Amino acid sequence: MMDAALDAVIDGAKLTFVEVSEVWVPKEGRLVLAEGDYGRHTDFAKASGTESFAPGEGLPGKVWAEARPVVLKSFEGSYFKRTEAAKAAGLTSAVAIPVFAGAELKAVLTILCADGDGRVGAVELWKDSDGLLMLDDGYYGAAKHFEWVSQHTHFPRGQGLPGGVAASKTPILMRDLGAGYRFIRADSAGKAGLTTGLGMPVPVPGGTSYVLTLLSARGTPLAHRFEIWDARAEKVGRDGGAVLVDGICAREGALWNDQTERRVLPWQGYVGRALATGVPQVDGSGAAGIAGGYTSIVVLPIHSDGAVSHVVAWYI
Amino acid sequence: MSWIDIGTLDDIPPLGARVLKTPLGCVAVFRAEGDRLFAISDRCPHKGGPLSEGIVHGDKVTCPLHNWVFSLETGEAQGADVGRVETFAVKAEGGRILFDGARLAQRDAA
Amino acid sequence: MQKLVVIGAGMASGRLLEQLFAANPDAYDVTLFNAEPRGNYNRLMLSPVLSGEKSFAEIITHDEDWYAAHKVNCRFGEAIVKIDRDRKVVVGAKGEVPYDKLVIATGSAPFIIPVPGRDLPGVVTFRDLDDVEKMRGACGQGKSAVVIGGGLLGLEAAAGLRLQGMDVTVIHLAGHLMERQLDPAAGYLLGRAMEARGIRVHTQGSTKAILGHARCEAVLLADETTYPADLVVLAVGIRPEVRLANDCGLEVARGIVVDDAMHTSDPDVFALGECVEHRKTCYGLVAPLYDMAKVLAKTLLGEAGAYEGSEVSTKLKVTGVDLFSAGDFADKEGREDIVFRDPGRGVYKRLVLEGDRLIGAVLYGDTADGAWFFSLIKDATDVSEMRETLIFGPAYQGGAKADPMAAVAALPPEAEICGCNGVCKGRIVEAIEGGATTLDQVRAETKASSSCGTCTGLVEQVMALTLGDGFKMPTAQPMCKCTDLTHEDVRRLIKSQGLKSIPAVTQELAWKTPNGCHSCRPALNFYLLAEWPLDYRDDRQSRFVNERNHANIQKDGTYSVVPRMWGGVTTPAELRAIADAAEKYDVPMVKVTGGQRIDLLGVKKEDLPAMWADLNAAGLVSGHAYSKGLRTVKTCVGSQFCRFGTQDSTGLGIKLEQLLWGSWTPHKVKLGVSGCPRNCAEATCKDVGVICVDSGYQISVAGAAGMEVKETEALAAAPTEEEVLEITAAFVQLYRETAKYLDRPYKWVAKVGLDWVKAQVVDDLESRKALAARFEISQSVYRKDPWAEHAAADERPRWAPLADLTLEAAE
Repeated sequence: MMDAALDAVIDGAKLTFVEVSEVWVPKEGRLVLAEGDYGRHTDFAKASGTESFAPGEGLPGKVWAEARPVVLKSFEGSYFKRTEAAKAAGLTSAVAIPVFAGAELKAVLTILCADGDGRVGAVELWKDSDGLLMLDDGYYGAAKHFEWVSQHTHFPRGQGLPGGVAASKTPILMRDLGAGYRFIRADSAGKAGLTTGLGMPVPVPGGTSYVLTLLSARGTPLAHRFEIWDARAEKVGRDGGAVLVDGICAREGALWNDQTERRVLPWQGYVGRALATGVPQVDGSGAAGIAGGYTSIVVLPIHSDGAVSHVVAWYI
Repeated sequence: MSWIDIGTLDDIPPLGARVLKTPLGCVAVFRAEGDRLFAISDRCPHKGGPLSEGIVHGDKVTCPLHNWVFSLETGEAQGADVGRVETFAVKAEGGRILFDGARLAQRDAA
Repeated sequence: MQKLVVIGAGMASGRLLEQLFAANPDAYDVTLFNAEPRGNYNRLMLSPVLSGEKSFAEIITHDEDWYAAHKVNCRFGEAIVKIDRDRKVVVGAKGEVPYDKLVIATGSAPFIIPVPGRDLPGVVTFRDLDDVEKMRGACGQGKSAVVIGGGLLGLEAAAGLRLQGMDVTVIHLAGHLMERQLDPAAGYLLGRAMEARGIRVHTQGSTKAILGHARCEAVLLADETTYPADLVVLAVGIRPEVRLANDCGLEVARGIVVDDAMHTSDPDVFALGECVEHRKTCYGLVAPLYDMAKVLAKTLLGEAGAYEGSEVSTKLKVTGVDLFSAGDFADKEGREDIVFRDPGRGVYKRLVLEGDRLIGAVLYGDTADGAWFFSLIKDATDVSEMRETLIFGPAYQGGAKADPMAAVAALPPEAEICGCNGVCKGRIVEAIEGGATTLDQVRAETKASSSCGTCTGLVEQVMALTLGDGFKMPTAQPMCKCTDLTHEDVRRLIKSQGLKSIPAVTQELAWKTPNGCHSCRPALNFYLLAEWPLDYRDDRQSRFVNERNHANIQKDGTYSVVPRMWGGVTTPAELRAIADAAEKYDVPMVKVTGGQRIDLLGVKKEDLPAMWADLNAAGLVSGHAYSKGLRTVKTCVGSQFCRFGTQDSTGLGIKLEQLLWGSWTPHKVKLGVSGCPRNCAEATCKDVGVICVDSGYQISVAGAAGMEVKETEALAAAPTEEEVLEITAAFVQLYRETAKYLDRPYKWVAKVGLDWVKAQVVDDLESRKALAARFEISQSVYRKDPWAEHAAADERPRWAPLADLTLEAAE
């Protein structure tokens, strides 16, 4: 049971769930594209390069204006601006994650997913309501069993991946979500259900806590490599930097080590840059600095108490 | 094979070199560790530095101008540098240094 | 090959086998028994496996391939029936195995509280993967778990079960959680952190019974409270597992008694890990087990080794809770507590001191300094000086450090990083992205940092920026590729081992090459002549061409000749001699240098000795314009002529030059003496600068005016010329004895601190005199003209070609 959990998280051979990642930054009152990794979707890349969004406009603009993350389950007829191009590229859903440092918006990270090809995954947005994590929205791709979804609408603090992330205020990568998540089934994915998940707090101004979870089933990994870095002064000291607290890689195996510590300084590599600037980093060029020899990296900094407290990175 | 007597072994300091003027240009004659003798062109292919003035280590010499390192045996530049100097035959016999006469006999008009 | 049987495949035995096979793979034929049906894994990481945060596959330490590669006979899932020490045989459930040596590593067994219901299905302990699987089997939404025991293990179990969806209650006997490490206030903070996860904490709870029929259903406490329980986890403590040892008659107290070499009372039987008792101590944490494994591996190979006990540290593995504890924090006479509390931030820190030593530390909410405190405990450091600020950690002294890489990150791609070779940041990044991932590769590819080396630090920063933590910033740089030793190591070893020649160094210090390389040979030559001025003979062939030929090589292979002009003062006769030499030897350029003297440029190598002889005849000597030694002493006119001059700066400059000339130093040394604070000799950017004032002389040091520009720092005020000379000689000698080859004085002072230099050279008069005396001894050998030596008639042929075969051709 548990030995196969690792394969489910990071099976290197399979196609991943996430197809496109973009970083939008505020510039002169609009959000403009800072970085984008479009993989093989060159036409979509072209369509996106010239876009910009005012507050409230399109998906990134909505997230900015409403100061909360958003899961968009269907582009058709929605406020999404690039619907035709997305359809042509086979992209079916999107998540927009605002990166706030206190009240200031540093960036919006958008992740576009494609299902089909037997890929099964889910993106869920949870809202903390008085100690209870309520499912605000969720996208389940090819999975079609909504009865499960109606059962699976809340977790108390500390319970389940959303409850665990909210209680600890730190990203968690669960190799085995446990019995509670087994019930969702997908016709094409067999009986495994959703087994692994990455949960992240999404801080926004105004006091509401959100947790974003990206879930996958065995055989359809989210990404090929994950890293969670802790940048809090209580952990790394006053010299800045961040320490790797968890990570696994399809090529290198477990990246965490309870004997020796891996550290980056601000500006050192992509993680260091996200740490120093507070802005997400995306690169799909296969450059030498992308660990593990992967083509793409997405780095998301999470802010707390006026500084970057954690950094999450995933590689495709 | 003809050999030209050009001097005694003691004319060359250990781990050092002396220059030989020839119609084919200046040749650096090295006395490496263990009195092993080598002869290579005295001109570095990089910017013409005098290899005879370089520090000798193992069977290599480092050009004094910009630190290119050459194998005394093959004349090949080491590491990532690309280049080659000509090598010549040289040997010691009875304390005398004998140089590659046959090579000089083939002198081209250049 | 002897037969070794190991009972128990826990973390201690895994480490033992690793050490044993690494030292001698063929010493033993090993059979490994394990009651669990699996091999060695990292038991400490079971808590995250329970919670789902790690997979079991990730915590396996030795897999099938490893056992096969080391030819270990694995008997997993097989319990041991007994050990027959008379026949030297281990009897397993599936058959017996003879042994020459036996290692018992049976670990610990959990305490089972003696309450009714403890044997009901659903009551589990938390030791191995089977326990974890049982616990996970019981997990489900709506199910309840009760964890008895609020120590590290119990809390980790509770958090894990909670993450997996259970309703969890922790029962703890004492008044607050983790009462051995934490005081009530900190225990309260920890309790709150558990409650924030929805875990109920019941302190001062004593379990009376576990209720249920076919399986457990609830837990009843002495105060009549009941908690429903589909699962009960017993986490109240462990004790060494000694049953097998007891049964076969070995000496057993609380644990299996072993000596420092891990022998039991039977000479062929050993024990290690949690099942042993060593010097009356039993250990339940992993670091001691590793230390024991190291010693036992030696013992098994017939080598001497002694285990002397260990310092231990632990962390609580509950995601989002930071807790670190190390050492001994029991309350005892003669111990002192230092406590720091910040309840607003949820921080509690407690240090336990005994005498002047730190013996225990507990950090809750802020564990950043954990490793530092632990090293103070392990090294038994005397902390009496730090007592007041100890609790604030190592960073207390400084303020927030400036972001070291921000400046380089901000540089545009066109910014020049390597001035010698004209390499810009973009080119370096390009090379890195093309595959150059080490400094050597970047150097080879771009030439950056391959000449003077000043930009090496910057190149490394660009690499760190581009490669992230894949690039390790080098800390202690070895001297060169010929050795792993640093410059400092080699200097020390030359002194302590009395090495007096380059072959002695390459031999005794195990150089990887027969006679070094162009990097280390000049450095070694300097260190040797500095350490043994009278015994060591300078090795010309280990010097760069300039120092070997006593002239600066130019780009076309000709040389520049610079005679000394003491203090920048010359005479008509000297000028005539220089002019005559320029004409006689067809010198293409005659140029005045910044060092206040004249340079003859473009001299052919074979003309050098003759030119030197001519210059010597006029009383001129080598200006050492090429050396890592004293270059020049710049002066301004001073009281001899200048209306502002307070002292005879020119005279003093000449005296200084005569004192220092000829000496070899780690890098070039330049002085300046100004007659008044108007500083016309620019003394304040020199290695040693003197400003004359009415009351005497102000000496300052560590300036720079080359690739870096830096003002000098005040060293001393001296009333007399004699004192200036003595202080300067002492400074230069200290520099020669302690600096790294190729570090200019300003770099050296930055490393050792000006205060230390002052203490040796200015404040401590005895030290000053001793240094100046040692300088004189060295100068007795080197204060002489190298030109005179090499201009001798019988030497001249060595400067010309060995033979000229072009003449033959003309025949």
